[in-house]
Amino acid sequence: MAYTFKLLPVFSAALIALASPVLARDITHELGTTDVPDDPKRIVVLEFSYIDALASVGVAPVGLADDGKRDRVIAPYIDVIGDDWVSVGTRKTPSLEIIASLQPDLIIADKTRHTAAYDTLSEIAPTIVLDSLGGDYHASVAQMAAIGTAIGKSVEMEARITAHKATMAEYVAQIKPKAEGIAAQFGVTNAKGLWLHSPRSYNGSLLEMFGFDSNMETADGAVYEKVYVPTTLEQLSEIDPDLLLVGAYADPSFVDGWAGETLYENLTSVKADQVLPVTAHNWSRLRGMLAAEMTAADVVRIMDALE
Amino acid sequence: MTRRARITLPSLVLLLTLAFVWSLSVGAVKIPASVIINTLFDLDGDQQRFIINRSRLPRSLLAVLTGGAMALSGVIVQALLRNALASPKIIGINSGAALAVLLGTSLAPDLALAWLPLVALLGGTLAAGTIYGLSALRPMSPERLILVGIAVGLVCDAGVDFIMVTASTFEISAPLVWLTGSLWARGWQHLSAVWPFLSLLSALCLCLFFRLDLMRLGTSQATALGVNVRLERFVLLAIATLLASISVSVVGVIGFVGLMAPHIARQLVGGRHGVLLPTAMLIGALLVVLADATGRVLVPPLEISAGILTALFGAPFFVFILLTSRMETRE
Amino acid sequence: MSHSVTAHGAGKLPRGLAVGLALAVLFSGALFSLATGGRSDVGLTDLWAPEGIAATVIYDTRAPRMFAATLLGLNLSLSGLILQAATRNPLASPAILGLNQGAALGLSLGLVLPLFSGVPLQVMALVGAFGAGVVTFAISGGFTGRMDSLRLVLGGVAVGAFSYAMVRFAFTLEDELARSVVRWTVGDITDIRWPAVRRLALWGLPGLFAALALSQRLNLMALGQASAQGLGADSRITLLLGTLIAAALTGVSVSVAGPIAFVGLVVPHLAKLLFGGDHRILVPVSALLGAALMLYADGVSKVLTAPVEAPVGVVVALIGAPWFLWQTVFARDLS
Repeated sequence: MAYTFKLLPVFSAALIALASPVLARDITHELGTTDVPDDPKRIVVLEFSYIDALASVGVAPVGLADDGKRDRVIAPYIDVIGDDWVSVGTRKTPSLEIIASLQPDLIIADKTRHTAAYDTLSEIAPTIVLDSLGGDYHASVAQMAAIGTAIGKSVEMEARITAHKATMAEYVAQIKPKAEGIAAQFGVTNAKGLWLHSPRSYNGSLLEMFGFDSNMETADGAVYEKVYVPTTLEQLSEIDPDLLLVGAYADPSFVDGWAGETLYENLTSVKADQVLPVTAHNWSRLRGMLAAEMTAADVVRIMDALE
Repeated sequence: MTRRARITLPSLVLLLTLAFVWSLSVGAVKIPASVIINTLFDLDGDQQRFIINRSRLPRSLLAVLTGGAMALSGVIVQALLRNALASPKIIGINSGAALAVLLGTSLAPDLALAWLPLVALLGGTLAAGTIYGLSALRPMSPERLILVGIAVGLVCDAGVDFIMVTASTFEISAPLVWLTGSLWARGWQHLSAVWPFLSLLSALCLCLFFRLDLMRLGTSQATALGVNVRLERFVLLAIATLLASISVSVVGVIGFVGLMAPHIARQLVGGRHGVLLPTAMLIGALLVVLADATGRVLVPPLEISAGILTALFGAPFFVFILLTSRMETRE
Repeated sequence: MSHSVTAHGAGKLPRGLAVGLALAVLFSGALFSLATGGRSDVGLTDLWAPEGIAATVIYDTRAPRMFAATLLGLNLSLSGLILQAATRNPLASPAILGLNQGAALGLSLGLVLPLFSGVPLQVMALVGAFGAGVVTFAISGGFTGRMDSLRLVLGGVAVGAFSYAMVRFAFTLEDELARSVVRWTVGDITDIRWPAVRRLALWGLPGLFAALALSQRLNLMALGQASAQGLGADSRITLLLGTLIAAALTGVSVSVAGPIAFVGLVVPHLAKLLFGGDHRILVPVSALLGAALMLYADGVSKVLTAPVEAPVGVVVALIGAPWFLWQTVFARDLS
């Protein structure tokens, strides 16, 4: 069956050519190459990390996917991008009608979620697709550079990335001496379970960069291939991190239910009173430079308090 | 054609037309009627090219086409299995397609996401073929087909559940949306890929009404009337399988239509397939068009999947007619 | 009334040997369940004289989980056996009736709709399960006493499909919710502790005795309605009592572990295959085999995708569904 729509690229290329009369550039991304206008003014972004990227260079999107909850775009972003953007709905199924009504000249979408909609999005405006959800911290910083090029602000973005790396290096310098020999672990808990973010995950790679160890790597022969690992109390007691950072989406959470159990009370982190809450939304959903700096500041605060 | 059918069919056509127009005129963005007309007929003045021509129009057409196809598939399956509670789900389409999509996504995500419709089509037809093959190991009867169909469906569902609990939810985000049966982001490219097949199969199906009437008599009587039951059952099942799995491949699991539409149609015009088939087709189309349009306007900018709304609105009605007409449901 | 036994033929194995085998399977399953778990350093050798961390692992997490698996197997297989006998329908079981999908629907509504946020999720699951069961039962004509086997399975599939369509609503909203729903809607005993075990035992053990007391009536049901009445057992009372016991056993299981399918469907058939049709034997044997199946499934759930655990519900489904398929394709009593 002909699922290759041969005419479509030709057609959308024609549309794009009409929409962007001046100075188009080729941007290569996960799903191909797209002609992007030189200086896009009306940008729609469909993942939180892209908001971070735009905010990093002071660009305000006209529309963004906030899951229908405006407060998911946190204050540090609002400070930069203002409050004039339009919600285009959920990240899973953003409303294409609203996106079209915003008359964007660039759409930034996510590979995992929006591959099926790529052709349709491309009919609205030049669309680039990046892998926001899959990668770790270093991949997300690399993406920032790509977004900078796409929005015609590669110089500003490079400068911001350099500044970000310097900031992070400062944080790392503060944290690393204290993190020496400490196994830290981040996990997200809701009412039904605890999911540890493995060293392969975004947060795992951040903690590694800060100089923390991870006990999830040393299990005998067993490998945690997943990014997010559903974890029982018994497994947690084997991983037994020195520092357990928990982002809770429910109150009381699943982890709260373990209080009082011998196995839980015997965890190294519990005995040392080092099970610490962090903001689940900021740690688990957001990613990017500003997000990473906030995470780093959280960790600095935590490590200072521990002394 | 009975008097009832003479009234019912035109009324349904009218209703479907109204629903179609409504579907073109509503969505997350409010557009004045004048702009819609300007856009559709390319008149001077304000136009909304993408929203009307490239989003709402192909979506609504796709809803008509797939809704009709799933309903026709349901009629065939119910006639062959001689049971008004059967549906394309019984011949494994939904579960097979779901398993294939999830398996594909977890094994080769890049490939499966790009080729999701094809993977789904493959899964649906494979499951149907398996059910047919396993049923044929013993003398085949409608009861046997139903039981084997349910068992194969349960095996696929077990696989689906296993993948859903072990995979990270973000990795299977797109398949999960597809599983709910949604016309989100469907456009001309999807329509152009399926309409030749679906129209051809639907037309073929409408022409075969008299064979279905014969099949409904049961194996022995049909054989006595000179019908090659084995061959015809195979051909009809193949048509039903393709109709349902092609639809499912582009719009996802809107499984309830194939069960409900034939049922409502039978209440309206009776069991003769000459009128039952077109009636069911119109009702199926109507259901999906209404569900899709409602899903767009209910809580914008969020979209509610058509599959969820067909189930939500259809199920209470379905249970009601089932309970009030118990004697008639067994064909 | 011993003819009720011979009507179905005696067991195919010598009874003593068979019971011995079943017990051996049960105990090895229990050891398997106890010896596996999240801590790879606690194993079989720690079972006799556990010390320190091993003691708390064994006593506080693995032992209650092992007993929970045992009792769940007992409850679910008995409720399947009773339902099948009382309705004289070999397919009557929670999985087929759509109970599991109904429970999932109840849970999802509780998670998604603010309207139900005050109601405990277990209660939502129970209400959903019973709602689905009642609708399926009504569709199949169960309340009029003329239950049709095909209508039952088809009605169950329809009710299940409807429930799942609604459950999947959560999938379109956000990942966090989808993750909770997926996790809630498969049977899961990873976080079982002693209070839940006590709850299961409180219902399961009286349920076992009630089933034993009912077994002669169930034998009479097998002879057909007319003969049962002739022998002084009103089939409607048997149906009512049977449904009540089955409902209670299923209900407590769903409330503790969530929906676990296939135990109630598969185990009674296996028991009949091995031991014939006398319910006085089938009741204890089904309980035994059900417990053994759950124990093995629990063990497998811990090693299948190690070091990550798979919920026991999907493991049972991965074992039970193919077995059911095999049975429908090759066995004569179903099709």
